[in-house]
Amino acid sequence: MQDEPTTQSLLPEITIDPASKEATRDYLRRVIALPEGQKIQNCIQCGTCTGGCPHGHVMDFAPRKMIAALRAGWIDEILTSDTIWLCVACYTCAHRCHAGIELVDHMITSMREEFLIKGAGVPTELQSAFERSGRYGNPFGESPRKRGKWTKGTDLEVRELKAGDSADVLWFVECFPAFHKRNQEASRDFARILNALKVDYGTLGKDEWCTGDGRRLGGEKGLFEVLYEHNAAELAKREFNEILVTDPHAYNALVREYPTLGSTYKVTHYSQFLMDRIEELKPLMTKSLDLKVTYHDPCYLGRRNDIYEPPRELLASIPGVKLVEMDRNREDALCCGGGGGGVWLDSFIWEHTEVPLPEQRVKEAARTGADVMAVACPLEVSRFEDAVKTAGLEGQLAVKEITELIAEAMEPS
Amino acid sequence: MDLIVLMKQVPDVVEELVIDDDGKALDTDEVMYIPNELDEHALEQALLLKEQHGGKITVISVGGDEAKDALASAVAKGADEAVYVEAEMEGQCDNHKLASHLDGIIKGRTFDMLLTGVQAVDDIDGSVGSLLATHMDLPYVGGLAKVSADPGRRVTTVEKEFPGGLLGEMEVTFPAILGVQSAEQPPRYVPVSKVMQTKKTLEVEELGDELPEVSGLAIQEMVLPEPAERAEMLEGDGEDVAARIVELLQERGLL
Repeated sequence: MQDEPTTQSLLPEITIDPASKEATRDYLRRVIALPEGQKIQNCIQCGTCTGGCPHGHVMDFAPRKMIAALRAGWIDEILTSDTIWLCVACYTCAHRCHAGIELVDHMITSMREEFLIKGAGVPTELQSAFERSGRYGNPFGESPRKRGKWTKGTDLEVRELKAGDSADVLWFVECFPAFHKRNQEASRDFARILNALKVDYGTLGKDEWCTGDGRRLGGEKGLFEVLYEHNAAELAKREFNEILVTDPHAYNALVREYPTLGSTYKVTHYSQFLMDRIEELKPLMTKSLDLKVTYHDPCYLGRRNDIYEPPRELLASIPGVKLVEMDRNREDALCCGGGGGGVWLDSFIWEHTEVPLPEQRVKEAARTGADVMAVACPLEVSRFEDAVKTAGLEGQLAVKEITELIAEAMEPS
Repeated sequence: MDLIVLMKQVPDVVEELVIDDDGKALDTDEVMYIPNELDEHALEQALLLKEQHGGKITVISVGGDEAKDALASAVAKGADEAVYVEAEMEGQCDNHKLASHLDGIIKGRTFDMLLTGVQAVDDIDGSVGSLLATHMDLPYVGGLAKVSADPGRRVTTVEKEFPGGLLGEMEVTFPAILGVQSAEQPPRYVPVSKVMQTKKTLEVEELGDELPEVSGLAIQEMVLPEPAERAEMLEGDGEDVAARIVELLQERGLL
């Protein structure tokens, strides 16, 4: 006769290493000490976070399970899984969490910090982005002296503010717009727009370093602080009324993080800046583009900082642009996969996923019948352009920064 | 196991190198320094050996002030003792001088293995390890891709890569000097906060003596490579270019 199963045999025997339990306690104590960090205790395990996570299906510890595992004292299990490097910090989980738990800024970022301090090893591309940012102030390993070279070979006049100089607007260009060949085109277009609007502006030139938001989200808080100290010192040497940014990640760092470290500025994303001057901009756009355009919300402009309308209003003001929406838009927009260090984790992430996020997103864009997918974050241009190629959409869907479309409409017709 | 790791600072080629007015050296005002990459591999290999067998790592870092940063980073990664050897770029590139100087510094120290990068990018000379071994009358093997140790038998087994995909395995008795081509894993990352923390308590033994006057290398002239118009750009559409490539390969007997 077969033995009846006992309760004991139905339940897996779980033994928790006391050291892991203690390490988990230490970690939770650190998270709870962060602003509003105690909210992690309010998790009701509803699973909304995991349901919205674009990589939740391939994580060993998706957000809900991660909190459950932490409650069980399993930090070592989480740290030895691939989970923490699969998060692209898209902020969907934190945005939707009913308990207001800062799953990205607190939980994942602190977990990565923990991981780095333990010396557990970082995916190689991210490691070199860390090392290069620390050494050169940019993640590409480019000479810091070449930061202002994106205007080279053009007749564009972009003023570099030296110590003691002043301007109404300080344009914080950031690394991708300054160094990435594809983004440089959009930077030059934006400079043309600013010049046409006769804005009194200047950049930090070679004295600008990366704001480092991606490094912070990658768990390198110490590096973020070093980058902050450099930038804050350089900004303090110039006089200006506001900082204009081309990169939502710079926006996030300057608006949300720099004040916590002691420096508060008035910061505007270029979509807001241009909307504030739309009446002056409109007469300059004389050429009709005759394009159907869909707009992709960058996570750190939209979900994280609630800027949804200015980019749309700006696009709608371009002559001949018909704006159409993707199914997932505004706070539901799918991430391009580049945030939170994701841009340097592609190889790692693609080993785990079937269809990369940017490819999923360009397919969504193509389903709207749009000719152009407009973006407002420099990370997205090359990510989506590559995805257009791998998704077989070349010739059907173009990817443009909003400024590129505006500059095109400003060309003589 | 007692390990010594030798590291030095080299010019960072991310910046354009500028030759000074007398045409015999780099203009050091224009130079940014970084740790020599292969020395970082030597450190990584030493850290792996320490993790496996225990013991102590002493890092000796040669160069200007930047060499002290390299020490903080090495200790944050797991090295135990830090020695700073102040040396100007000029003297540092003369490996006879440098080896002779380091001989004086290392002589009184006991060690089982001394690891260093097999060469440095500033001179691509690769002779410090072997010259030091000659001074100290110790065995030297360079170009290593793996170092394992048997402290009980006081030997190290090293793997050396030869051209053509040949791999040699050798056993070397302690104490030995080893030139590392690559560690068994890429050099690890240490977060900035840990380096900062280390700097607060780091005790560095500073050795600032002049480099000895020994006959070595005399640089006669330093010149930048001159760009030449040797590239032929193939114009035309894909078909034309492909046909021209085939033609060129045939002309050179490669097809």
